Amino acid sequence: MNSTRMSLKLHPKHGLLVVVLVATLFPIYWMVNMALQRSEDVFKNVSLLPSSITFEHMISIFTTENYLLPLFNSFIITAISLTIVMVCGLSSAYVLGRRSFSIAYNKSLLIWILLVRVLPPITFALPLYILMNELGLLNTKIPIILAHILVNLPLVIWFMLAFFTSVPNEIEESARVDGASEFTIYYKVVLPLVLPGIAAVTILSFMASWNEYLYSVIFIQSPSDFTIPLKLATLNSEQELTEWGKVASGGIISMLPVLIIAMFMQKHLMNGLTAGAVKE
Amino acid sequence: MHSKRRFQWIMLAPVLILLTGLTVFPIVYTIVNSFTDYYYLASEAKQYVGLSNYMKVVKDEVFQQAVWNTTRFMLLAVAIETIVGLAIAVLVESMKRGVKILRVSILIPSLLPPVTVALIWQMMLSNHNGIINHMLSWFGFDPFNFLMDIRIAFYAILFIDVWQWTPFAFLLIYAALQAVPKSQYEAAKVDGANSMSIFRHITVPNIMPALLFVILLRTIDTFRLFDKVNILTGGGPANSTTTITQYIYRQGVYNLQIGYGSAAAIVMAGLVLVFSVFYIKRSIGGAQDELRH
Amino acid sequence: MKKRFAILLSLVMMVSIFTACSAKGPDRLVIAARGGSHVTAMEAVKEAFEKEHKVKVEIIGLEAADLKQKVSLDAKNKQGAYDLIMADDPWMPEFSEGGIFANLSKLGVEADDDFEESSIALGKNPYATGDLYALPFSGNVQLFFYNKQLLESHNYDVPKSWEEVLTIAKDLHADGASGYVIRGQQGNPIVSDFLPILWAYGGQVFDDAWKAQVNSEPAKQALNTYIQLLAVGSNYETTDIVSSVSEGRAAMALGWPSWFIKGEDASADYAPIPAKGTANAETAATGMIGNWMMGVTANAKNPELAAKFLTFITSSETQKKMVEHGGVPTRKSVYLDKELSAKYKHFPTQLEALQNSVARPRTPKWSRVEEALGSELSAAIAGTKSVEKALSDANQAIDQIMQ
Repeated sequence: MNSTRMSLKLHPKHGLLVVVLVATLFPIYWMVNMALQRSEDVFKNVSLLPSSITFEHMISIFTTENYLLPLFNSFIITAISLTIVMVCGLSSAYVLGRRSFSIAYNKSLLIWILLVRVLPPITFALPLYILMNELGLLNTKIPIILAHILVNLPLVIWFMLAFFTSVPNEIEESARVDGASEFTIYYKVVLPLVLPGIAAVTILSFMASWNEYLYSVIFIQSPSDFTIPLKLATLNSEQELTEWGKVASGGIISMLPVLIIAMFMQKHLMNGLTAGAVKE
Repeated sequence: MHSKRRFQWIMLAPVLILLTGLTVFPIVYTIVNSFTDYYYLASEAKQYVGLSNYMKVVKDEVFQQAVWNTTRFMLLAVAIETIVGLAIAVLVESMKRGVKILRVSILIPSLLPPVTVALIWQMMLSNHNGIINHMLSWFGFDPFNFLMDIRIAFYAILFIDVWQWTPFAFLLIYAALQAVPKSQYEAAKVDGANSMSIFRHITVPNIMPALLFVILLRTIDTFRLFDKVNILTGGGPANSTTTITQYIYRQGVYNLQIGYGSAAAIVMAGLVLVFSVFYIKRSIGGAQDELRH
Repeated sequence: MKKRFAILLSLVMMVSIFTACSAKGPDRLVIAARGGSHVTAMEAVKEAFEKEHKVKVEIIGLEAADLKQKVSLDAKNKQGAYDLIMADDPWMPEFSEGGIFANLSKLGVEADDDFEESSIALGKNPYATGDLYALPFSGNVQLFFYNKQLLESHNYDVPKSWEEVLTIAKDLHADGASGYVIRGQQGNPIVSDFLPILWAYGGQVFDDAWKAQVNSEPAKQALNTYIQLLAVGSNYETTDIVSSVSEGRAAMALGWPSWFIKGEDASADYAPIPAKGTANAETAATGMIGNWMMGVTANAKNPELAAKFLTFITSSETQKKMVEHGGVPTRKSVYLDKELSAKYKHFPTQLEALQNSVARPRTPKWSRVEEALGSELSAAIAGTKSVEKALSDANQAIDQIMQ
């Protein structure tokens, strides 16, 4: 009796959810559809179900477009910049967030970091490009790695600040009484307590880095340094006939890493965000 | 005490060095350039031209349009994304089963690279081969030229942004909903409150920080909108989708008028500062309060 | 564990930085090219050169705006990322004066007489008379692109004036087809699409003293015609123009030969662009040249080898091979080749169009002029500005840029 009433009551809700899911997932399905059809069918037989199945585009972006190289570049750039951002960002957020430290210019430092977070990246991009050129660094991956650091560092500090401030002072003090060094307190005592935040912000920074476009389009000239977003934008070129199959295949591959994260790390992201949202 | 001091500076040093190198120079350089006629390929040295770049930027119709477009985009996108995100979060929260798979599926769009998102929609919105126009034709409509129609292009880009980022708003709000203490709901139910007033008096206050967080993140992000516009419309038709970042990119990077582009960038930075004074005050205030406890 | 991870990462970092530096030895040439058929054609023929000179030729295809931006930003780089670059011909004055190109004569590359004169003129700075900075790579020239069957079924010949185009378009529109397709995206597309009509009506962007002329009476007539054409037609981007005209959903448009290589049974064809506004008016040259040029960068790592590649890729032998892969020749001998012109029936039309072609105004500021004009034209066709207001605003903006 009770259960039938429940399911009846839930009906409109289910309908709404279906609408939400279709609206969310259809475009992704469509991309897969485009990637797996023969080029002729993409133009001639537009229908909801693929009218032919082929892996030629998936294969050709690796054979003729050398898609592995931008994949590799994106991974390297993301991995290096993320490591630096996490190491530096966590340590400074810790010092800024714990009241046992008294930094003379604490407030101005915070304002500075927040400003970097809100100011438009285009303000930094061009002068940085010219600076890197003067330093002769443009033939390396250093400029783009630094740009990714610039994008993510304020995010990490800002996000982690709330986590560090919320760790009870007593924990730190008792470790200090036990004679632990400052570094041990930070590394062994406080860091483990903010792990949910670290996990969440790592995921957020990874996404930001993996998806970054503006700096890439300005900083990277040489094809041997291209990242995934840049390569994708290049595959899609107006004025000449676009090969949708290739573009769609490239798009699918571009989303795999983040999808994997969504599948396996989502719990951590949720935990971190929940904790963060409560503290905000 | 001494070692503690040293420790904190060691901890801060990398960030101080990185930020100094990566922000102080660019800002100063941009300000200096904004007073010059710096053209990237010029053979002569740049000349100081006073405030004339700024005068030109402020008077330029296209720039004004870009500011208006960006502001309008920001307000609409943030409002829609927050409200729809909240609605979906409430909807999913009320589900008993399948929540995990729902959460993952709904989140997918906000995980995609914006470039990929732009390309997916470009395929779908295309005139003849796009599925959307095909579906419209099943209902007897003529194809729409979504990205080239002055009445639609702006909203098409807005829609794409909403499609991509509502899931993100959903996730943050949903996380906050999960954290609302169940005891508060039960207490309210005991008091005989109806579901509307429970939502208003218990749910909303509890998730307020998350809502503000969403609004803040999306405001910062939408104000610098660039990738979608640059790939999908290039600012057209008739500048109806030009954003400030896109404008600066066209002038400063594509046309290489670095002096002029710098002036526009400084104006944009000024606008952003006006918007964010409240936020910075609040953040700093919050942090200081915590420290003073 | 974490320490090991950190060590590993720093190792990866060092290695990647090293590989990034060392991967660019002298044994590779990097070409920044316009994406699409040009790249396909070069990829198809580069192997012979690679084998002969033991070098790897890497071609990067970019969208036009990205190409211009990347090439210009790379120009002040001490050691450039590109050895050879392609440039749309209106960029030539800006690129040559900006010092992006190496002087080809100094590298021992000479233009021979086989290149079509109007094409080779584009590669010189100043135009037609100065030093040689680039060779024509792709002999694109804008043509009238139409569906033959559709026009024949309504008993129309290829129109000779824009008045006729409009009449035909109206008639076909009444029968349910799209009469004329404009390529009206803001920026380069709408300007390229509109200029031939402006010229046909006797209009000009600049007078002899580089004063803007786009608010003239002919310009207004041309823009009015353009808007009327849109009213009985559509506004598409390239892919849709090609598919709609070749499939007969649309009748007429302006097009570039590199878009569409017609097979035997295709119902779309190319013709010269109508050269006058009204039927009784005088004809003007309207075939807008849009060659893609190729030159060696001033900061190339290996200019001599790059120059050799340039000679190789523009040779008549290579051009003949590239035709099969969508290449558009720039040499007379290739157009007049019996085998090729038997197979590609539009070759005579195209060579004729090239020989009678007009170049866009030769100024280093053309990109900015194009941007200003494109934005106003876009406003006019969208209806946010009247024809008069849009053109007078454009005139003012262009004058300001040219100051």
